[in-house]
Amino acid sequence: MLQQAFFSSLELLINKTLSLNTTPIGLNKLEQKTLTIVLSELNFPISLSVNNNKVLVSGLTNRADCTLKTSMQTLQELKTNQQLTELIKQDKLDLTGDIKIAQQFASIAENLNIDWQSELALHIGDVPTHKLMQLGKKVVNKLQFSAKQIQADASEYIVHEKRLVVTRSQIDHFNQQVDQVSKQVDEITTRINQLTKGLANT
Amino acid sequence: MSDQQQNQYPDTKNSTSDNTTHFGYKTIDKKDKVSMVAGVFHSVAKQYDVMNDLMSFGVHRLWKRFTIDASGVRPGNKVLDLAGGTGDLTAKFSQLVGKNGKVVLADINSSMLNVGRDKLRDKGLVKNINYVQANAQYLPFEDNSFDIVTIAFGLRNVTDKDMALRSIYRVLKPGGRLLVLEFSKPEYELLNKAYDFYSFNILPKIGELVAKDGDSYQYLAESIRMHPDQETLKTMMNDAGFEQTSFKNLTGGVVALHKGYKF
Repeated sequence: MLQQAFFSSLELLINKTLSLNTTPIGLNKLEQKTLTIVLSELNFPISLSVNNNKVLVSGLTNRADCTLKTSMQTLQELKTNQQLTELIKQDKLDLTGDIKIAQQFASIAENLNIDWQSELALHIGDVPTHKLMQLGKKVVNKLQFSAKQIQADASEYIVHEKRLVVTRSQIDHFNQQVDQVSKQVDEITTRINQLTKGLANT
Repeated sequence: MSDQQQNQYPDTKNSTSDNTTHFGYKTIDKKDKVSMVAGVFHSVAKQYDVMNDLMSFGVHRLWKRFTIDASGVRPGNKVLDLAGGTGDLTAKFSQLVGKNGKVVLADINSSMLNVGRDKLRDKGLVKNINYVQANAQYLPFEDNSFDIVTIAFGLRNVTDKDMALRSIYRVLKPGGRLLVLEFSKPEYELLNKAYDFYSFNILPKIGELVAKDGDSYQYLAESIRMHPDQETLKTMMNDAGFEQTSFKNLTGGVVALHKGYKF
């Protein structure tokens, strides 16, 4: 049942995203075609079928024109680089059926271009959108700066500071020496006390 | 559930004679059931979808999606959505069978059929859907004509369920399958009690408030209790000729999806 809830949400998300694209996306070439994706992280398949310029998401596997077995990470690489052949060679992706269908779906994902600012302005108005976008940019910049800073600090520590940091054996050695000095001071104190006592008796 | 209701539940389940049947907890003449059920659905047709969402907290959509996923429907298939009511399953099947396929939305009740037809037309689904007013016991279709038959939340309202199952078997193609989505018996006692309380105390009140018809929803609750449980329905399907019959409980058995093949 969670599966069905997931399919339902994914279907809504995909169709909403496609409808927001700046130029209309034609799914005519994929009409009545089905791409089934089997992700190693999930224990159920996801089938994307196209009907009447809409994507239907289901768990139906017997109608697949193309089946893609892969992982989430590889899917991300596929989306950004279109490295289909390379990924198959690396055994990161197993593809059966019509490769063109997978390529067309990948191409749609790659060419998505959504003007989020205009979409948001339709709902909350121009000025709040502008302010929100400015705030968003500031937050993103701040986060990017922090990430860079953390990265720089981390490499500085690994490359330079780590070598200068006192090691456990050095600390142990130092503690031993301190103990030794303390012991010697105690001995000298005892000896001085004894000598002082001897002098007083004579 | 009241004592009276509890007493009626086990007693009436198998007590009908050849000429009587159940209408909720009442035992009535078989010939009267069609018109009495028709009265209920004429009354609730316009509010049917809203009430479904309210009563099931929207979960009926997931139950129906599960049915679609279990159907194994392919492009070009011919599907009969029996007791299809407002066409939720038909809408999805219509998209999945494509232009070479066909979906027949059949219901005994003209009001439900009209609401379903309007809704599907509003969604732009017109090309591959036919509408037929039909009684599940006497399906007006040729033998071996459908790849898939579904009946969602409809079988319990049928006067003679065995006859309806035989009729469905007749119209299915060899290799075709029947999917029965219907309220059933919850698997856990605690859930059963909570479900009884909800069905007999809250559900009719929601019906009264939203659909201005508490009696129809009282009938709904009673008819669910009088419907055969999972194993009984499976046996009935086997008796009608279906093979490889199985069922899957959904939401703890509140609903069950039965599946059977004709070979």
